[in-house]
Amino acid sequence: MPDGSRSAENSSSHGADASPVRYQGVTKRYPGADSDAVHDLDLEIPSGEICVLVGPSGCGKTTAMRMVNRTVEMTSGDILIGDRSVKDGDAAILRREIGYVIQQIGLFPHRTIGQNIATVPKLLNWDKNRTDDRVTKLLDLTGLDPEFADRYPSQLSGGQQQRVGVARALAVDPPVMLMDEPFGAIDPISRGRLQNEFLRLQADIKKTILFVTHDVDEAIKMGDRIAVMKKGGEVAQFATPTELLMEPADDFVEDFVGADRALKRLALMRVRDVDLWNAPSTQAGRRSDDVLNELKTSEVPYAVLVDGENRPLGWLSTRDLDAETVPVHPDSTGVPMIDADTTLRDGLAQLLAGGSLYGTVVDGRGRLTGVLSVEIISDFLASKEAAEVAIPAVDRPHDD
Amino acid sequence: MIDFVQIAAVDPDFFKDRSGGGCIQDNNLFCPGWVVDNYDRYVDPTLQHLVLVLSAVGIGFAIAFSLAILAHRRRWLASPFLAATGVLYTIPSISFFFLLLPLTGRGTTTAIIALTAFTLQIIFRNVLTGLRNVPVEVTEAARGIGYTPKQMLWRVEIPLAMPEIVAGLRIATVSTVALATLAVFANGGGLGGEIISGSNLTFKTGIIVAGSIAVVMAILFDALILLLGRLLTPWKRAAAL
Repeated sequence: MPDGSRSAENSSSHGADASPVRYQGVTKRYPGADSDAVHDLDLEIPSGEICVLVGPSGCGKTTAMRMVNRTVEMTSGDILIGDRSVKDGDAAILRREIGYVIQQIGLFPHRTIGQNIATVPKLLNWDKNRTDDRVTKLLDLTGLDPEFADRYPSQLSGGQQQRVGVARALAVDPPVMLMDEPFGAIDPISRGRLQNEFLRLQADIKKTILFVTHDVDEAIKMGDRIAVMKKGGEVAQFATPTELLMEPADDFVEDFVGADRALKRLALMRVRDVDLWNAPSTQAGRRSDDVLNELKTSEVPYAVLVDGENRPLGWLSTRDLDAETVPVHPDSTGVPMIDADTTLRDGLAQLLAGGSLYGTVVDGRGRLTGVLSVEIISDFLASKEAAEVAIPAVDRPHDD
Repeated sequence: MIDFVQIAAVDPDFFKDRSGGGCIQDNNLFCPGWVVDNYDRYVDPTLQHLVLVLSAVGIGFAIAFSLAILAHRRRWLASPFLAATGVLYTIPSISFFFLLLPLTGRGTTTAIIALTAFTLQIIFRNVLTGLRNVPVEVTEAARGIGYTPKQMLWRVEIPLAMPEIVAGLRIATVSTVALATLAVFANGGGLGGEIISGSNLTFKTGIIVAGSIAVVMAILFDALILLLGRLLTPWKRAAAL
């Protein structure tokens, strides 16, 4: 392999973490086709961000992505990684410097997990020690048991195989990664977990990632930026998830993003990120009149009974407060208790499930931090603020 | 057919064997005593038989494997190759010997050519099937990760086609062991000579011994190649665990 000794080895050893990717008027027309699969595409993906290409099937999103590693050759235009054109040099060598994850994973069934992960290091002639160290590190990074190194792909579950696929793509620490529906073949529950794991991993490694999906929810969850593509291979809108949900550029995007985009926006925020309401809180044994006085000026027309650690025990009803002092056991104990880390969407779901307009919000230790109301959520949706909040990928809420 | 007659001509000493006595005279189904005294007469034919089989399968594998790789790269070549090897496969070996007569005369070369021609179709088909059965996502990943076409062929496609390649080799070898008994008609030696020798095809013990050696040889080859296949495909066993 005289061709395997180029810059990937150097760049990765010096930890060149990521490079921006620039599409410049990129067009692809397949031989015999009478229209372009991708038409005059201009995109600029900043270094270290996840850019999701999303759109209906046949919109050219996969073609657009694959022109980066030249598994599809562009008809005209250029793509730059950093300041280098992908057209420079040999395609096979270019590809070794770009991580590649596909939906069907495509692990080599005849090689162990360790050998699979070591594929590109081996193509680049890394020495054995360096390769072994890297394999161990990647197994750890992707949450796989080190024992897996000697197993074959067929001995792993789908989710585990997908992690190996990601580890293999990251083997030489490439500045750019291409992910083609990487979680598409995984069952919905594992998918959510893998997405969250990957976002946490990305917070660490900060690669420039092109991510193709047909699933808008996944796009909103994973993307720092989203390029919505439509038939004919054109970008209908290139925006942050929030912008996309608040101000869809046209009917196509609005339609594609879906009628429930208001609800999707709620998935972008956590409960602790909004201004919560305050309710009078009291421990048992206090004079009821004092509590009633506080209620007159409070945002929430009910008081919360808390224990000595400020953990909510229940709402105090008017009847509870008829007594001289605050009772130990309130009438209503089944109040929704919402973790401050849940998304607004899940918070709303909890309110609705509890049949309540108000829910107590608690921190990690179960202590009262405020009250979430249905009104807060509807106000939030109506506000301009929702549109202006830019949420970096790292801070994006996780489901688990 | 003159040669055939000569081979089959009764050897006057044949029945005046060193032992066996009545068993031979009666031409019973099997005469162990005769075998014990005459086993040395099978050594050379067995070795000749081995040479015939190994040469034919070896050369056949080299040709068919190359053709299959060519046909895998350029799909349009598959049909003509299949047709050509198919014709060679179908020609009865005996006719082949006589067809080759004016070109290569009689002898081992002629026998090996005919036997080789017979193996091509089996091996070609299996290698090509093996290469085509490599999952497309695996080759797509290999390509996207930076394998050159040549690296992909040797490091991914051929290893993954190994089960089919080995299967083809097994069938070809076992059939060739059987078919090589006909080499005697091309004066190519082998165990066939012992099957028909000196007995106008009626000496049952001789037929059974020579036939048995061929069967054992086929079984040994089969087991050996099976073992080779196991060693070359450790991942297959891991999958079954």
